[in-house]
Amino acid sequence: MKVELRHIHKHFGPVHANNDITLSIPAGTIQGLLGENGAGKSTLMKILSGFLRADSGEILLDDRRVIIRSPADAIRHGIGMLHQDPLDFPPLRVIDNFLLGQQAKGIFLQRNQALEAFQRLAQQYDFSLDPFAYVENLTVGERQQLEILRLLWSGVRVLILDEPTTGISAAQKQKLFATLRRLAEEGRTVIFVSHKLEEVEELCHRVAVLRAGRLVGEMHPPYDTRKLVEMMFGREIQAAPRASFAASIPVLRLQQMTLEDVRLRMTAVDLDVHAGETIGLAGMEGSGQDLFLRACAGLVRPVAGRVLVGEQDLTGKAYHAYKRAGVEFLPAARLEEGLVPGLTLSEHFLLVSERQGFFLQRAYAQRLAEEQIALYNIKGRPHSPVESLSGGNQQRALLALLRQPLSLLLLEHPTRGLDVESSIYIWSLLKERCRQGTAILFISSDLEEILQYSDRVLVFFSGKVSPPLEASALSVEELGGLIGGKGWEKFGVQRES
Amino acid sequence: MRKSLFTVFAFVLGLSLILSACAPKTPTPAPATQAPATQPPATEAPTQPPAPTVAPTEAPTQAPFVFGMLLVGPYNDRGWSQAHYEAGKYVEQKLGAKMIYLDKVNPADRPGTTASQLAEELVAQGARLIIFNSDDMKDESTKFAQEHPDVFVIMASGDQVWKEGKAYTEIPNMINIMGRMEYGKMIAGCAAALTTQTGKIGYLGPLINDETRRLAASAYLGARYCWTKYLGKDARDLAFKVSWIGFWFNIPGVTDDPTKVADDFINSGYDVIISGIDTTEALTQAKKAHDAGKAVWAIPYDFIGACEEAPDVCLGVPYFNWGPEYLKAIKAAAEGTWQSQFVWAGPDWKDINNPDTSAVGFVKGKALSENAARMVDQFISELAGGLNLWVGPLKLQDGTEYLKEGEVATDQQIWYLPQLLEGMEGQSVPQQ
Amino acid sequence: MKREQIGLSLGLRLLAILLALLFTVMVLLLSGAPPLEAFRQIVLGAFGSYKRFTDVLVSWVPLLLVSSGLLITFTAGLWNIGIEGQITLGAIATTWALRLLQDSTFPPALSLLLATLAGMLGGAIWALLAGALKTFGGVNEIFGGLGLNFVATALTLWLIFGPWKRPGIGSMSGTEPFPQALWLPVLPGLRLSLWALVPGLLAWGMVFLLLSNTYFGLRLKAVGKNLRAAYLLGVPTWQHMMLAFLLCGALGGLAGSFQVTAVYHRLIPAISSGYGYLGLLVAMLVNFQTLWVAPVAFFFAALNLGSIQLPIVLKLDSSLSGVIQGVLVLFVLLLDGVRRRMERG
Repeated sequence: MKVELRHIHKHFGPVHANNDITLSIPAGTIQGLLGENGAGKSTLMKILSGFLRADSGEILLDDRRVIIRSPADAIRHGIGMLHQDPLDFPPLRVIDNFLLGQQAKGIFLQRNQALEAFQRLAQQYDFSLDPFAYVENLTVGERQQLEILRLLWSGVRVLILDEPTTGISAAQKQKLFATLRRLAEEGRTVIFVSHKLEEVEELCHRVAVLRAGRLVGEMHPPYDTRKLVEMMFGREIQAAPRASFAASIPVLRLQQMTLEDVRLRMTAVDLDVHAGETIGLAGMEGSGQDLFLRACAGLVRPVAGRVLVGEQDLTGKAYHAYKRAGVEFLPAARLEEGLVPGLTLSEHFLLVSERQGFFLQRAYAQRLAEEQIALYNIKGRPHSPVESLSGGNQQRALLALLRQPLSLLLLEHPTRGLDVESSIYIWSLLKERCRQGTAILFISSDLEEILQYSDRVLVFFSGKVSPPLEASALSVEELGGLIGGKGWEKFGVQRES
Repeated sequence: MRKSLFTVFAFVLGLSLILSACAPKTPTPAPATQAPATQPPATEAPTQPPAPTVAPTEAPTQAPFVFGMLLVGPYNDRGWSQAHYEAGKYVEQKLGAKMIYLDKVNPADRPGTTASQLAEELVAQGARLIIFNSDDMKDESTKFAQEHPDVFVIMASGDQVWKEGKAYTEIPNMINIMGRMEYGKMIAGCAAALTTQTGKIGYLGPLINDETRRLAASAYLGARYCWTKYLGKDARDLAFKVSWIGFWFNIPGVTDDPTKVADDFINSGYDVIISGIDTTEALTQAKKAHDAGKAVWAIPYDFIGACEEAPDVCLGVPYFNWGPEYLKAIKAAAEGTWQSQFVWAGPDWKDINNPDTSAVGFVKGKALSENAARMVDQFISELAGGLNLWVGPLKLQDGTEYLKEGEVATDQQIWYLPQLLEGMEGQSVPQQ
Repeated sequence: MKREQIGLSLGLRLLAILLALLFTVMVLLLSGAPPLEAFRQIVLGAFGSYKRFTDVLVSWVPLLLVSSGLLITFTAGLWNIGIEGQITLGAIATTWALRLLQDSTFPPALSLLLATLAGMLGGAIWALLAGALKTFGGVNEIFGGLGLNFVATALTLWLIFGPWKRPGIGSMSGTEPFPQALWLPVLPGLRLSLWALVPGLLAWGMVFLLLSNTYFGLRLKAVGKNLRAAYLLGVPTWQHMMLAFLLCGALGGLAGSFQVTAVYHRLIPAISSGYGYLGLLVAMLVNFQTLWVAPVAFFFAALNLGSIQLPIVLKLDSSLSGVIQGVLVLFVLLLDGVRRRMERG
């Protein structure tokens, strides 16, 4: 089925997530959709699959104009979407999930019929799924397979996959790609959304690149990687900016740092953090990652070892000394620790302003606040008390309060409690910081987030710390296992007796 | 958390303000219809310094003479201030004069005011004479008297207009009045000595100054006299210990806790406690020990009705009776015979408990044994007969001579007693 | 704050005053006193003559100083209940300085100036002690302050009856009064000294400016509203708390100093006159709005003075003013709670 999008616009408050996007996808192709986080890819696909309505613009299927009001509507039109987070029902069996996706035909579930269809489809695409297994016991890859079968049984002719390779193993990825190619050969249209260049280059027949809500270009094979990167990130940042940072001295060095609190003890951690890199700290709540992050800010004093920021030895110094050295810490509890309820946005900007004399300059405060509000897309006025802002806007305000430039940014759960759009926007701001050379350490309990945004990952398990792991070589299962205490032997870390 | 602490605290503060105001309820519907004086003023006390004699009362024909009184504490404190308040009522009744008063005259209760300022308020309401009832107001009374020479001033317990005193200032419109409590304390000491079984008497003292020293010393002199004379025992076997709490009443954290001091006395074998402070811890703690089976007694202070709180352990109470001297002074003011003087009025030895004549009295308590009561009466009559215990040889606590053999102490020597006496245990001067 | 919120808050304030008055009337009726006459006497007692009005101003000055100072610590989220002790120490330090200087050849004006500065220093040091106990000893400032208040009272008594005893008898009446040259000059025939009134007003104005218009005030607000966040945002928090203590203590000390040089002319046992606790009530009532300190403190001073007429004229207990003040604070707090609930609902 041929899919055409014409002049699609979508706003989230002040964020212009899709800005006049026009894209035509012929039937039987695998269309790649590239762009960094927050570029507007997910928004566009959600519009196509009925989860969001465009503010304006048209959608044409096989040259016929359609209006898609809901996901169910989309399915009726033959469009199905595979989400980043599978939308299945974990406590149910595979076959029941398969059935749930079906349009109700009569009152009784036609289980036998469904089972038959399921097995036929599974065989056809070479998926080995036990229809009576419980979904919660499946891997992410298996869930994806289930979801694909379900959509196919629903009769979709356009399949949208949003970052489908995060969290699946290499073997599963190859199987997925094979499946997608086959679907295309059968005349179905596949839209493959990703920010991973190599995958797109490997799989797609054509690529469209989004940046900051706009469609900035399209490309057919053979792909010019340099050009794609340039389109994704804009002209000013050439490919691999990280390499140049890595050569310089690390922004943070932990040497044999030992931490202790009432619950646990973390011994002799070594770590070098380089400018521009992002390190995710994963672990069950209270496994030591919070202690670790605060120790990097001087908020927790190590019992042994050294903490160096740049070339300064700040071991045992207070947070404000770290701050002066270009380190900032953003707590998860935004209104409890981050912002001062009762003070307005502009008062917050004054508080961190570099230009503090004796008397307040109201006019300056107003200008400063307006600037920052515009710059960070904060939905609020200069005189709005911070507690009146939504969680996402509070987080934006916190980011706006950070100093420029910054060598190290430490974040606790940067997107906890935020909706998807806000999370994406926050991460686009953070990645912007990285590009300017700021290193980021962040805690998250969302494994997808860790894998998606980190370059390296540290896993914490009851006071033990893994060596830095390359995020790209890590799957969700592996990470989940480590968090749960499985698979540590390979690091040569003994369980403490 | 912070907020709730704030609220709770504010609440308590507000509530305490209200409660402190409500506790001593005061709807005193004005007096007026008292029975007329039953007795004409009796004979002058014999020990008086020469005072202008006063013609027998004529019925006041014009508007009644208005006098004002400033009380340091609540008018109904069952102590010092109430004794003054009742003296004022007594004068109203005897003289047909009118009293206006203001109680709780102290900067803590009336922030931002001075006693002289408050005295002016009383004058504004028609008072022609002002009584300042406390040592607290000494300087303010001087200031007021000097600024208002047309208003008569009585400064109770002061010594500004005592020509022989150390702080003499000429103030024609002022009279100082004080009762010779020394006698009351001697009798109290005597009762204590006659009752103690362990030979140990505790004196619960307030703060240390000349007045409190001389009162404690008086109690000791009375005790020693009755111990040796009536019981025939050796003075060296009598222990007399003074413990100062640091103020007239308990201020938690500032003074020693009188309850604890009294308990310490009882627990270390002191079986009679003489109180020199304004509150009744000595009595209540003795009562507790008594109820627990110990043989312990106490002697309160100031107020005639003080024994009522624990009659089972109360040996008696020395008290002030300001009425007669106030009557004399106010009458003199009304009649134009006022003369500035220092009055140090003693008991009427004919009957020390005569409300019309005696400035100082002693009411025997229920706990005083019959035998001891008889000897106390004997002691009183000896005093009436001219017995003077402030006679040499007497040494001060540090061993220096205070009175030579046979030397009789002058009023000044007694009033300004520099130390406790030899034989008394306890501090003589505040710790430096 | 939105317009209707301001309206609501103002309306509830008025309602609180009304309720407090109503409650007082009930108390009066219960004690069999004519309420109207009682109120008339209070008004007359405070404003019946020029001299009485100036007497109200005399007690307004220390209350203004203390309440203004307390707003600084309140803003920093601190309950400086040790203010009583700070007033007392201000008075002690002033007395100490005057005792040293009264026999010197210094001109009286200079002696007074030095003694006043000594008073501010004394109060500030006492406040810093409470602050240090909190910051470095982890002692809540309420308990630390109360303890220091006791120590200050004990110190006063010890000085009056010990080292600074007057000739003759050690007296509750205080130390020997200073020679008249060392009194702050008063308006002829009155008790009011402009040398106290003007600094009091200046201090109030300065606190207003400080809290509403300076970076220091803003940082103090941040510390008071969210200590943790203020720290993470880069505000040196304990330094600001100490500064708040210092300033409040200095103003308390100034109040104590004026008690000595303008009112009592000596050190007396109850030199703080309870202004500290009264100031806490004022500060609570105005709810961080510095401008309101002056009128509310004036109202309290007038009530205190006016109610003296009640026992004299009506034989009523004059602590009625305390009842009105206490009830007022309670109703304001109560209706504040109501307002918060309404805003949430």
